[in-house]
Amino acid sequence: MILSDLLGSDAFDADGRRLGAILDVRLEISGAPAQLLAETVVTGVLVSSHSRFSTWGYERRGEDGPFLIAWLQRWLHRGSFLVAWDDVELVDVGRVVFRAGYEQLDPMLPRAPREA
Amino acid sequence: MKNLFAVALGVLTAIGGFVDIGDLVTNAVVGSRFGLGLAWVVLVGVVGICIYAQMSGRVAAVSGRATFEIIRERLGPRAGLANLAASFLINLLTVTAEVGGVALALQLATSVDPGWWIPVAAFGVWIVIWRARFELLENVTGLLGLTLIVFAVALFMLSPDWGELAGQALQPGPPADEPVATYWFYAVALFGAAMTPYEVFFFSSGAIEEKWTEKDLAKSRLNVLVGFPLGGLLSIAIAGCAAVVLLPAAIDVTSLSQVVLPVAEAGGKIALSFVIVGILAATFGAALETTLSSGYTLAQYFGWSWGKFRKPAKAARFHLSMIVCLLIAVAILATGVDPILVTEYSVVFSAVALPLTYLPILIIANDREYMGDRVNGRGMNFVGQVYLVIILAAALAAIPLLIITGAGA
Amino acid sequence: MNDEHDHDHDHDHEHEHEHDHDHDHDGGAGRRMPRRDPRAPRGRVLDAHLHLLDRQVLDREGVPVTTVDDLELDGIEPGARIEPGSPPPTLTAILTGPQLLTRLFGGHAPAARRIAIPWKLVSAVGTTVRLGVDADSLDASWVERWVSRHLIGRIPGGRHDPE
Repeated sequence: MILSDLLGSDAFDADGRRLGAILDVRLEISGAPAQLLAETVVTGVLVSSHSRFSTWGYERRGEDGPFLIAWLQRWLHRGSFLVAWDDVELVDVGRVVFRAGYEQLDPMLPRAPREA
Repeated sequence: MKNLFAVALGVLTAIGGFVDIGDLVTNAVVGSRFGLGLAWVVLVGVVGICIYAQMSGRVAAVSGRATFEIIRERLGPRAGLANLAASFLINLLTVTAEVGGVALALQLATSVDPGWWIPVAAFGVWIVIWRARFELLENVTGLLGLTLIVFAVALFMLSPDWGELAGQALQPGPPADEPVATYWFYAVALFGAAMTPYEVFFFSSGAIEEKWTEKDLAKSRLNVLVGFPLGGLLSIAIAGCAAVVLLPAAIDVTSLSQVVLPVAEAGGKIALSFVIVGILAATFGAALETTLSSGYTLAQYFGWSWGKFRKPAKAARFHLSMIVCLLIAVAILATGVDPILVTEYSVVFSAVALPLTYLPILIIANDREYMGDRVNGRGMNFVGQVYLVIILAAALAAIPLLIITGAGA
Repeated sequence: MNDEHDHDHDHDHEHEHEHDHDHDHDGGAGRRMPRRDPRAPRGRVLDAHLHLLDRQVLDREGVPVTTVDDLELDGIEPGARIEPGSPPPTLTAILTGPQLLTRLFGGHAPAARRIAIPWKLVSAVGTTVRLGVDADSLDASWVERWVSRHLIGRIPGGRHDPE
């Protein structure tokens, strides 16, 4: 599957209620060790109830500058949440369904190390 | 001398932005019609380009990423492509104008018809880009471009009525015989000319060509603070000369020879030869700056290998795209179009394209992943956002003003 | 210039609930307040769109190769129910070339036409994606090699350093 097919898909709960759109896919470089880098695995998907578009991530990073843009972006993505991959029941074309009793998690990213 | 060369990048960037062929004429036109009544716009523009270039220079030095990489990364492929199309078109029009401008400057020096000089000028630009080291290119054109200071000297030698000039500058507003819309059209054009995106593409990519790192932040600031105010000063001096000589004589500026008229009147043949060298260096420098900017923007959007620090064969698509740009420029000039008219439109379009090139830099300058502890401080963010609003206003006003005033006629 | 130090500087995962009280939860029954992901991350955490898409790909020597135009994920079967406890999908390749066109204009590029850089060649991820191999060994750089060999390399001086 290709990432851009997943991004922007509609997210539904088990009862078929639309929750929002898939904003991003959370990855972790933590799988089986490989030659250069450990395997990169999918750990969850981010859902935004109000907007399909974001590449700036103000809603999941602690950054708050510049104020005007941070404020606008946080407002656009108010109430966005993370769903662990274990709670994903089904992925289809343009549609992602979560399991019954799935949990909405805080989307905040751990602070990224800065590249040397 | 070493210190002078340290700011060569800033000086060349600013000369290419403020006193390239289009600006030379626009400044003189503005001076001959409005006196110094629009000098405040140059001031606003200088502060704006300083903020913009300072942020992009800092991002380039700290993270090693040039401006158009940032634009693609933050705006995504679609908005990034729209931005690339607009920026590239402006670059191409400006390359065309500058190659034409070099030919006009050579005509001024030799009285040989510019048609003969166009291929020579284009080849000259190409061979420098193909063979000369980046440092050599910026030092020579930056230094020779400084001879344009003769405009400021000429302004003093004309011993104008300083009170009257100050009066024009301090009481901005359209003169009685000019419509309000025309006044604002030229205000947007001057602002667009000061804050052309290609200056920032060139400056940030130049920082990477010179391999700046976090240690060079002071150098970056010095380049910005020397280069752009100098460019603004030259731009006001040109308008001032025109205001003193051409405005009272009711001369309408339409050609380069009219731009240099006040200098010749003030300083005779010596001043005139200085100004011709300066114009030649400035237009040639601007031609280099805009041709390289075309290559930089394309390569950075698509992720190609780029840079003059590499052998041309190791940055093949980068060099190929610049060759194609120069060929298109020569083809456009071969149709006999007036190069000066071309830039008058391109500065207005730069004002339109500016918000989408400015915004990503403002965002990344706040991103700790890129910048670590070198993110914008509160003061910088405050003025940065004030300018975001100004830039948006200028962008929204540009096209309506262009249509209402018939391009300032 | 030092005012950036006094706010939010040592932001880490422990303090994050301070930021989410303004989140608005307008859902109905069965929705809970978001809490932190209970599993502590075991490696670098990345968001695919935010941290990878449209970033520059550099080779072992730092030479730009391409941009990350898209990513290929392995282990997602469209339309099939995912059994609880099945292994998570993995990132398998960086896609480029025709994939940029599909992101620009929509539609699908046939799988055979895709130019892929296997993810296992990636050596580091930061503001750029670094590869552990030379650009010349990759399919992704064939256009650059072609232009270099047939056009630019043939012009006198094209293979020399600038002076």
